[in-house]
Amino acid sequence: MSISIELSGVSKSFGPVRAVDRVHLHVGEGELYGFLGRNGAGKTTTIRMLLGMLRADSGTLRILGQPVTANAPGIWSKVGHLVETPAVYPELSVVDHLEMFRRLRGVRDVGAVERICGLLSLGPVLHRKAGALSLGNVQRLGLARALLHRPRVLILDEPSNALDPAGVVEIRDLLLSLVRSEGVTVFMSSHILSEVERTATRIGIIHNGQLVEELDADRIKALRAKKLRIVVRDVDAAILMLRHEGYQPEVGNEPGVVFLGEKRALEAPDSIAVLLVKAGTPPLSLMLEKERLEEHFLRLTEEAA
Amino acid sequence: MSGFAAALWAETLKLRRSKILWLTAAGFCILPLVAGLFMIILKDPVAARDMGLISTKAQLSGASADWPGFFGIVTQGIAVAAMILFAINSAWIFGREFADHTIKELMALPTSRGAIVLAKFLLLTAWSLLLALFVFGVGIAVGSMVGIPAWSMELVWDSFLRCILIAALHVCLLPAVALVASMARGYLAPLGWTFLTLALAQIVAALGWGEVFPWSVPVMFSGMAGAHAGTPGWTGVLLVLLTGAAAMLLTMRWWDRN
Repeated sequence: MSISIELSGVSKSFGPVRAVDRVHLHVGEGELYGFLGRNGAGKTTTIRMLLGMLRADSGTLRILGQPVTANAPGIWSKVGHLVETPAVYPELSVVDHLEMFRRLRGVRDVGAVERICGLLSLGPVLHRKAGALSLGNVQRLGLARALLHRPRVLILDEPSNALDPAGVVEIRDLLLSLVRSEGVTVFMSSHILSEVERTATRIGIIHNGQLVEELDADRIKALRAKKLRIVVRDVDAAILMLRHEGYQPEVGNEPGVVFLGEKRALEAPDSIAVLLVKAGTPPLSLMLEKERLEEHFLRLTEEAA
Repeated sequence: MSGFAAALWAETLKLRRSKILWLTAAGFCILPLVAGLFMIILKDPVAARDMGLISTKAQLSGASADWPGFFGIVTQGIAVAAMILFAINSAWIFGREFADHTIKELMALPTSRGAIVLAKFLLLTAWSLLLALFVFGVGIAVGSMVGIPAWSMELVWDSFLRCILIAALHVCLLPAVALVASMARGYLAPLGWTFLTLALAQIVAALGWGEVFPWSVPVMFSGMAGAHAGTPGWTGVLLVLLTGAAAMLLTMRWWDRN
């Protein structure tokens, strides 16, 4: 798998504030990379540097093997982008916007505008001025601009912003289909962690400008997997017994909480209850649950803070 | 330059769809209308006495109620009004991209930033010069309706060249407004800059150093700075051209680096 996006030791400061601190990451072709972080963590700064909108203080950024510079027409004809809320010219209609960006992006196919309007359900508002569009439709227009030229790499900052639940699902399906059927590489930041969890093939978590963790496909899968949450009075006795029986218990953050992830434990929680009774620490509660990305993310960023 | 034609098409579309095109044309039309009103007042001072302040203003202009006097007011008006109005055009073309945050949509495109800036300058030049032509045309229509004496084709041609020269000199100084709009990322700073240079232009010209201060040169050509200020020579014109070229290069560089 060739590398589509590569950041090596990228840093950026604004005065005394270190916005991005020695970030190394790479995204392979056809991957959907979820880029997570709290407000002010450095996501948008990283994305702006990746798009040549900001100059990195140090480090190198490459897209499709080419170094990122402000003026690099060779790269930008293959990259689509959406940074924060799309900015529009209020006096221009949707079709004006798309026609303008078709030309600015050097797309010769005049049917591209019609195709993208169909793909993003912009038909009903085609001739409406952008200043009169709802936020959701402005977001669709921004996505349409990003996809107009059939890019090989998509860099999206909060693509589901302002979309209604049906719109969120629609955009998720669209991105997944671009990745799966056309091999498009997507680098996407989002606040909707459940969306990232469902779509991303890899996830990077940035905090205080530093990439604090990268989750690969297996780890994301593990996060999606259910766990058995057990509450006991004597955690040590419970762990001793469970280990003796071949389980690999994890101690939870809350007092008295132990997790089991093994399939046999999930399939027969009653047998675990029996074991714990034998160990002299009967369970106070047994519950099947999954650790969501959201919980993992919050725990990680709180630890880093 | 990569994508220049597309950039010019895009900039023209934005202007065509905007109300500012008609607002600036309507605003600029006030100038020949005021000149026409002055002519009506100057033609009949007795009747004009009843009009109060505007009559006094007309008398103070020192113009005569004929075509040379009419063109004199229009030319001097263009020297000031064009500077402000063209600066508004420049602030709108460049400053709005920052004020409306649309600048981020113009980056990371196959069309180079240099092509976009150049297209903006070309459109600004065409728009501003067309406005000057339009106002001169409206002036002739207004003057004809008022019915003033001493019309001659030679006078019209001479006044036309003077108006276009003044407008062209103002256009040459617009890149400085564009640079301020880009650096300050909005509308207000370039307008502040324009009023500052407008005031300085009058003062410097009145002090007799107008030829070495680019913003005084158009004012001196209009005769507004008074006879003692003289008419600038090639040095003044060259300075205007060099200032414009330097500001244009700096604007392109600024867009490239930011």
